[in-house]
Amino acid sequence: MQIRSLLLGAAALLAGGCYTGVDVSGTGAPSGGSDSFTTTAGEGGTGDTGTDSDDGVPDDYDPSPVALRRLVGSQYAASVRLLLGDAAADAANPPDDAAINGFTAVGAAQLALGSAEVDRYEASARDIASAAVGAGTHLSHMDCTPTGPADVACMREFVQRFGRLAFRRSLENDELDRYTTVGLTTAGDFDEFYAGVESTLAAMLQSPLFLYQVETGEAGEDGQRRLRGTELATRMSFFLTGATPDGTLLDAAEAGELDNTDGLRESAFSLLEREEARGALGAFTEELLKLHELDGLPKDAVAFPTYDVDLAEAMHEETRLFIEHVGFESGDFSEMFDADYTFVNDVLAAHYGIPGEFGEEFVQVTLPPDQKRGGILGHASVLSVLAHVSSSSPTHRGKFVRETLLCTTIPAPPPGVSTDLPIGDGTETLRERLEIHMTDPSCAGCHVLMDPIGFALESYDGVGAFRTQDNNKPIDDASELDGTPVSGAAEVGAVLRENEAAHVCLVRNLYRHATGHIESDSELDALQDVTAAYIDSGYDLQTALVEIVGSPAFRLVGEPL
Amino acid sequence: MKPFRLHRRTMLRGALGGSTVALGLPVLEAMLNGNGDAYANGSGLPCRLVTWFFGNGCAVADVNNTGAGIRFAPGETGPGFAPTPQLQPLADRGVLEYCSVLSGFDIAAAAEHRRGHHDGVAGFFSGYPFVELPPNGANYASKFGGPSIDQVAAERLAGQTVIPSVQMAISKRIVGGEGPTLQYLSHQGPDQPLAPYFDPREAWDKLFGTFTVPDDPAKPARLSALDAVREDVRRLQMRVGANDRMRLESHLDAVAQLRGQIDALAPVCTLPPQTPQTNDDVEGQEQIEAVNAVMSELLAIAFACDITRVGSIQFTGSVGYTVFNNLGISRGHHDLTHDAAENEAVDQATIFTMDQFGVLLQALRDMPEGDGNVLDNSCILLGSDAAAGLTHSVFDQPCIVAGGGGGMLTHPGVHYRSESGENASDILLSCLQTVDPEATEAGGGIGVSTTPCSALQG
Repeated sequence: MQIRSLLLGAAALLAGGCYTGVDVSGTGAPSGGSDSFTTTAGEGGTGDTGTDSDDGVPDDYDPSPVALRRLVGSQYAASVRLLLGDAAADAANPPDDAAINGFTAVGAAQLALGSAEVDRYEASARDIASAAVGAGTHLSHMDCTPTGPADVACMREFVQRFGRLAFRRSLENDELDRYTTVGLTTAGDFDEFYAGVESTLAAMLQSPLFLYQVETGEAGEDGQRRLRGTELATRMSFFLTGATPDGTLLDAAEAGELDNTDGLRESAFSLLEREEARGALGAFTEELLKLHELDGLPKDAVAFPTYDVDLAEAMHEETRLFIEHVGFESGDFSEMFDADYTFVNDVLAAHYGIPGEFGEEFVQVTLPPDQKRGGILGHASVLSVLAHVSSSSPTHRGKFVRETLLCTTIPAPPPGVSTDLPIGDGTETLRERLEIHMTDPSCAGCHVLMDPIGFALESYDGVGAFRTQDNNKPIDDASELDGTPVSGAAEVGAVLRENEAAHVCLVRNLYRHATGHIESDSELDALQDVTAAYIDSGYDLQTALVEIVGSPAFRLVGEPL
Repeated sequence: MKPFRLHRRTMLRGALGGSTVALGLPVLEAMLNGNGDAYANGSGLPCRLVTWFFGNGCAVADVNNTGAGIRFAPGETGPGFAPTPQLQPLADRGVLEYCSVLSGFDIAAAAEHRRGHHDGVAGFFSGYPFVELPPNGANYASKFGGPSIDQVAAERLAGQTVIPSVQMAISKRIVGGEGPTLQYLSHQGPDQPLAPYFDPREAWDKLFGTFTVPDDPAKPARLSALDAVREDVRRLQMRVGANDRMRLESHLDAVAQLRGQIDALAPVCTLPPQTPQTNDDVEGQEQIEAVNAVMSELLAIAFACDITRVGSIQFTGSVGYTVFNNLGISRGHHDLTHDAAENEAVDQATIFTMDQFGVLLQALRDMPEGDGNVLDNSCILLGSDAAAGLTHSVFDQPCIVAGGGGGMLTHPGVHYRSESGENASDILLSCLQTVDPEATEAGGGIGVSTTPCSALQG
């Protein structure tokens, strides 16, 4: 089931040459040329590889090294909510995440915690513990009634029960002793049992066993390291629900129910039925589409007088609702590229010029064809983020399509090249200035991969509003994408939807987000199988998610570095 | 049953509520020798190191000839140089005499010219070539190749102050999409970037807010929690690979650091009350001047009270999109610096940026210490990530070394122009030697220097 699609159009682009060979197929297939840019993911598939194990793992499978992964902020907060309720989650204040290669999960797997983060975790843990004890949610982790501040058995019960959920495995004896002692000491100091509970709660929430996903795996007879049951449950739960596994899932893992891929898939499907699964998808797309940048995104008030916080929030909500719809309702996630409908409220309907009566509530509408919108590239959210403060940015938009939607890395400008836009006579459109720029061969090599895609979106200004003029001249949004003429978001999206690389790329991005690393060649092979199943399903997102979980790429890990 | 609740942090801010900022005499006279320039025990007055960064370089001298350099350094060399328009704000604030301008240097660590901005910021502030992370079809990203010079200094000064170093940032318009190199200024190593405080109130919390009152009832519980955490981290270290062991070592260091802070008594010094200044946008615009003023003041007080001796300030970000609304500019700074038509606006941004740098120098100068001031006993290194955004050149990036460096740096400042494109790491070594006179090298790999910049020697 290997997908090997090397686009002819893309190959033709390469002949023109970015200054280094670029794999524009996005499938990881070799880009050709002796001086290929070194970032291709290697061979796209090994075809006749044997699969000797009974869980479908090729015998030469070579997974990426496993690493400790700190919970990203949304996972931390969602886990606190699951463990201790809403009041505690509202008190959670984890440190900021840092992205690497575009993913906070990758940053979380590589960077060390520093003083600022540890300070923040301590303050957050104390605030959470205080809020939880205030709200009484700690009581859901104990059945005993303390006989007094020195009730060892009761404190131990609390530590054991809360600890198993917080650390995602049963506690070892020394851990039990340690956190029971923390609780009893404070209980003694204050002559109050629940002061001790609060104290040990705050301590456990600072433990590396809570703050990191600890995955070590276990080497099997075939020499491959498979994640242990509770490790797999944890990886799956964070991926599909955005939160730590609950007691039921841990029970299933400890009973061995996730050890076979059928049981694993079944468990994955049931997690996807939970409300949190929608939030987890939202967290993924939030990052992928850079929607978090809408919070505090500066726009020039002169160029865009209608832009304000309300509009930015409405844009954000549109995309959130749309992604949730194509992910969980429509059954066809590829509609993200070119759906002819979206969700608007009064603010957004005015922004898009959609006629009719609208209120604060968002409603589904069919897009009028005159603005050529369709799919996420027509969303004001995405168009605003992929723009400058006072203008659009064909380059940013094109780079996003290549890098984020097609998984093609654009190389850096070569040294010694002046990266400026030439000074014109002031009458040019942005497109015209960029086109002059592209007459310089040292710029054209890469900009030809990006700018033309953005030219097709020039009818949408820096806040995603439709326009017919730039710098008092008519907009020209006729362009082409890999050999196909396109103008407007819907047409660009339609070309992407027909491109297998876009679907492979979606799966790759989900995987990077889920595992915190960029896939190895072996893992990419396995993800090609996932993609094939996803395409076969008619682009059912849940199939993609479950197949990722069932894939060797998800279940196996390499030796840590 | 009524749930019991621990006391929230009982902070000094409570104890000091309503007190006014009273500065001065943080280093007690009794601790000084008869000359007022050294501790009575014979050691010199504490010396501090600060790195101060602004992104995207300066305006080019001539947009039609980008090889003609940038608008920054004066034409004449030596002491007593006449300030250029970019340096005039420092003269206006009366701190130009503390500034040495270094031009014509090249960043040896960036000799491979791999990527604009990354080369400039990592090469200039660490002296190590940055580490490129193969994107394999994802977004580009890189990490510093070694510690930034402020963190080398912090490591050398470890244990001498309650807080090893503090990181601050003024503009929030920074990019997070290309890895730690562009996002952070301070790095203990490739995997250990140090996040800055953007909010002055958080910076205050870190510098002045963590000293607990001696009988704080919450203290034993906090310490025992950290001890349990420390034990968990140690045990976890035994189960992971070497790479993760190193990351956990950093976690342990941070836990020990916090433990020490909770346990420390407040210094004999009048601490400032918590600041009301936030770093929130007002009507969609940043409060750059207000935030910069408070951050500069907090750092000056922390130095005077010897709470820390190392700081970094990221004024604007590498590839950052700060909008200088106060200058009538409506575009993001990075975008601006890549458009030749906006060269004059870029120049205005540089001039404003230098004025804001002057605010920090003034704050340090106005803080008396011994028979001089804190600026006399500090070394402030100003730099960027490119000479100009238009060229991404790492040759002749803007550079100032300010302060007396405890007598180690030439005073009054000079303009020194290298005729041979000397290694910018020489400047790092000179700065490092102000806090560690025994230091013999700075940077690493192709960027290493063993020869301090002689023009800076006082």
